[in-house]
Amino acid sequence: MNIDVDFTARQEVPRWLAYGSSVFTILAALLVGAVALVTLNVNPLDAYQVMFVQQLTGLTGISNVLEKSTPLILAGLAVYIPLRAGLWNIGATGQIYIGAIIGTWIGINVTAPSFVLLILMFLGAALGGMLWGFIPGYLRAKWGVNEIITSLLISYAAIEINGYMVRGPMQGGAGNFPVSAVLPSGAQLPEIPIIESHIGILIALLFAVIVYVVVQKTNVGYEITFTGSNPDAARQAGMNSFYIYVMVFVAAGALAGMAGLIEIAGVQDRLRPDFSPGYGFTAIVVALLGRGNAFKVVLAALFFGLLLVGGTSLEVAYTVPSALVEVIQALVILFLITAEFLKSYKVDIDFTMGESKPNPTASAEEGV
Amino acid sequence: MTNGGSPSFLEMRGIVKKFPGVIANDEVDLKVKKGEIHGLLGENGAGKSTLMKILYGLYTKDGGEIVLDGEQIDLESPQQAINAGIGMVHQHFMLIPKLTVTQNVILGKREASNTLTAGKEGSSGVLKSLGEMFSIDRKGPQERIKGLSDDYGFGIDPTEPVWQLEVGEQQRVEILKALYRDVDLLILDEPTAVLTPNEASKLFETLEELADDGLSIIFITHKLYEAKEITDRVTILRDGKHIDTVDTADMTEADLAERMVGHEVLFDLDKSEVAKGDVKMRADNLHALDERGLPAVEGIDLEIKSGEIVGIAGVSGNGQKELAECLVGVRDIEEGTITVNDRDLTNKHPRKFIEEGVSFIPEDRLKYGLAPELSVMHNAGVKEYRKKRFQSGPFLDYDELEAYANEIIDKYDVRGISDARKMQSGDLSGGNMQKLIVGRESYRNPDVLIANQPTRGVDVGAIEDIRRNLLAQREKGMGILLVSEDLDEVLDMSDRILVVYEGEVVHETTPEETNKQEIGLKMTGGGSTEDSEGAVATDGGQTSKTEALPTNQDADNSNGGER
Repeated sequence: MNIDVDFTARQEVPRWLAYGSSVFTILAALLVGAVALVTLNVNPLDAYQVMFVQQLTGLTGISNVLEKSTPLILAGLAVYIPLRAGLWNIGATGQIYIGAIIGTWIGINVTAPSFVLLILMFLGAALGGMLWGFIPGYLRAKWGVNEIITSLLISYAAIEINGYMVRGPMQGGAGNFPVSAVLPSGAQLPEIPIIESHIGILIALLFAVIVYVVVQKTNVGYEITFTGSNPDAARQAGMNSFYIYVMVFVAAGALAGMAGLIEIAGVQDRLRPDFSPGYGFTAIVVALLGRGNAFKVVLAALFFGLLLVGGTSLEVAYTVPSALVEVIQALVILFLITAEFLKSYKVDIDFTMGESKPNPTASAEEGV
Repeated sequence: MTNGGSPSFLEMRGIVKKFPGVIANDEVDLKVKKGEIHGLLGENGAGKSTLMKILYGLYTKDGGEIVLDGEQIDLESPQQAINAGIGMVHQHFMLIPKLTVTQNVILGKREASNTLTAGKEGSSGVLKSLGEMFSIDRKGPQERIKGLSDDYGFGIDPTEPVWQLEVGEQQRVEILKALYRDVDLLILDEPTAVLTPNEASKLFETLEELADDGLSIIFITHKLYEAKEITDRVTILRDGKHIDTVDTADMTEADLAERMVGHEVLFDLDKSEVAKGDVKMRADNLHALDERGLPAVEGIDLEIKSGEIVGIAGVSGNGQKELAECLVGVRDIEEGTITVNDRDLTNKHPRKFIEEGVSFIPEDRLKYGLAPELSVMHNAGVKEYRKKRFQSGPFLDYDELEAYANEIIDKYDVRGISDARKMQSGDLSGGNMQKLIVGRESYRNPDVLIANQPTRGVDVGAIEDIRRNLLAQREKGMGILLVSEDLDEVLDMSDRILVVYEGEVVHETTPEETNKQEIGLKMTGGGSTEDSEGAVATDGGQTSKTEALPTNQDADNSNGGER
């Protein structure tokens, strides 16, 4: 038997598909994940109830989801902006770490009223991230060095610098643990009343709005979009790709740097080695899913925050291996990416019996 | 052999190849005899390369048949073509610079090493078969390559790494690759494009020697003097169709030019007299490089006056694309100056050119003209969005931009757009894309318009619209540079015509003083630049040929140093 698969680019995406596909694919991923849960004698319905419904019905759950989503929103935007300009910022991780180091250092070492101190910390974190973003951005803009490689590799340098800081110059607190001193309370992010989550989410949303407006409503956004779509035509139209490339990476670095600081000043309270649970890389998927606009990035980040928190709850509640939780998360991502593909391509599958190659008339028939 | 008389070694009959929207080969026939050098002549886009890619198994044909040495063959990959005895030397070499000549030549054609496989008494069967499977014999092939190189006077050292070789030598390695595989038919795709005149004449000697030894050679070119000099017979293609196959000796370069360029439908254009105004753009002694870093523009001077269309005629690849790009600031200039309205814009950013009132219709609309994934509105406004009209406070006024797009769409009759904001420009048809670009570049009322092939690849209706629009702009006092490979277009539209050849202006004339044949001859390097009577004496052709490409050893020695 021969199976002939044929992909045709869609002229137009049907409306039901555009909206329905995300929902449908998440359900499909959960269905596949259920098989694994059943083999471990866990009722998938109960498991998913813990993983998703519970998180969204209780205040603690929502607060946790928001706190996990906050760095993802900012880091997601840090990938999204260069992506609009046709560049890949794979180095949000490094920008997160450098932002966290500098922000925390200021928080520990500078004495100022809380409000001023926090602003200083955010500025420092943004500047640190900007530096880490500037390097790959400049190399790309000036000499065409592949930004994927430079931004990725320079991230490892940042992770190592962080490891050195908490073991060396910034090591603090009791014992010889590789952690920094705890941030003074004035340097920690205040909480939002009622939902008991720190104000990081508001900062993240504020920047999402700014990014949305800049990209969708201004000249710069127009130039970023045009350069990202066709750099040659953009140059011919008088746009300056050097400026655009450097700028998007610097802006990305600032956002990711603040993401790092928020994770420390809002959640962890002190610098630790490897404090980021993969925010920088998850941000790539977040940005890909939300590449339409900045608000979609926020939605994607919230969804991934839910996956992270829900996964942890599932682990605790049913003592399922953490690997399984990761499998379910990965399935959701894979299915969503596949859905993106199916949105833009029509797939015909042709089954032909017998050994022979399908003849043209047979394969011309509509798929099964 | 199948047919009597002069037997054909290769016969391609009725070859058809279609691409979306284009028929690249339309029932093309090609017959090549054994031991013959057969020219394949045609303008760019005439279908030469497509035909040869079919013969080499890179494309599958949509119709027709290929008969090689009396046997019908069906080629699905270059490997099959090589096995059938067909070799090809591509314009861009397929060599691995780090490897030696031998390694490059034997790549994909491994022979087991003798020391392991020769039936030594002690060697076990396992070792022997392992040796056969994995060892590479270097000595044997190396000697064979050396032998081949010596036989044809290539002077190539098989142990040298390829990156150390000159371009001409690298080409000979490509030929060695084919000879090593015992091909009977060798395809050369514009082999002289990358060579210096000296290297080219050496290549010609080699080819003649190879042909004498019975190798059939297909020589792709669009340079007439080359076809005249090296080939025995020539097949001419135009617009994907087979025009003629002739004995080269019976033809003058002018005959070939006429067949190659052909006659086309003339449009009725009302070209009124327009008074010429001030010089809008001036270029002095322009020099620029192409993508490969080779000189493409070599000392061009030109002036574009208000109300004037300056036509640039030339076979593509003679520097006109690079020239056009220099004139709008997209390509860096190595030497020379450009002024617009007497302001020096040499090596200024393209934005300065735009602000100074220079518009550009690029040759490749999908590469330089449009961002196909973005909306018609995005694309329509790309030259003007910085203007005050589109700014409201810190924001870009997209509503105004959309209104502007619709003005262009209405005025220039761009069809197939229901919503300029939503429709992707890449979804427009070729003609409408081009009308959108022409409209965008004209509607802003520039002083100078650089139009590179504005009507290429669009349908007849759009061609007419675009030409009329250019003439209307001319009447309004715009200065236009029209680069075109369509000679009728150049003759019908221009006030003055510059013929470019190998990066230089070789001839300046007006439509009244010249005709298509003369221009066709000039732009293919035929005829001398001082040629007065337009007499196409073979001598005239020879002289200029010698200048560009020394044909014999004497010429070679005498001016080898300076060129």
